[in-house]
Amino acid sequence: METYLVTSDRLIFKRGDIVTAKDLEHVNIPLLIGGGHISPQGVKKSAKTKDTETEKDY
Amino acid sequence: MSTVYLSNPALTINSVNLTDQATSAVLTYVFEQLETSAFGDTARKFGGAAVTSLQNNTFEVTLYQDYSAASTEATIFGLVGIQTTIEVSPTAAGLTSPSATSPLYTLADCYLESHTPINATLGELSTITLTFTGGTLTKAVA
Repeated sequence: METYLVTSDRLIFKRGDIVTAKDLEHVNIPLLIGGGHISPQGVKKSAKTKDTETEKDY
Repeated sequence: MSTVYLSNPALTINSVNLTDQATSAVLTYVFEQLETSAFGDTARKFGGAAVTSLQNNTFEVTLYQDYSAASTEATIFGLVGIQTTIEVSPTAAGLTSPSATSPLYTLADCYLESHTPINATLGELSTITLTFTGGTLTKAVA
């Protein structure tokens, strides 16, 4: 489920809290993001590892 | 019985607390009146145990206009023409911990038809009056 970081003091949640879309039911989430109240928390991908051992055939 | 001098109400619009910008709030809870009079009745009747009419609620609020980040204009402008949710309570505590003496009223999926981004007069603080219509009203006391 999508999560959001609270970045405003104007929500009933505290600044710094992580909330879910369910916590924001019936609320227009894009407007909260646009208004600077919350920020989407993307899923962090692990860094790609480069295989330096494999030799390429030319 | 205690009569309320409403000095510290609190409200959120689209989950944004704009209490410090609000100067008046009127929530009107309405079920449309449907006539159920029939032959044999000697007086008009409305509603009844088997008749459920539609809610037709309104919420009118006056706010100081504020163009700073995360305040009035940033919260309201994008709400025009779409549905949102209003929460209002007689006290600030009622928003998070409603009780019988400080109930929380939630008007879900109400509609904002219009907004006046500029409503200014020389020498006066700029205010806006918004009317949210429709939506389902619920009252929480715990």
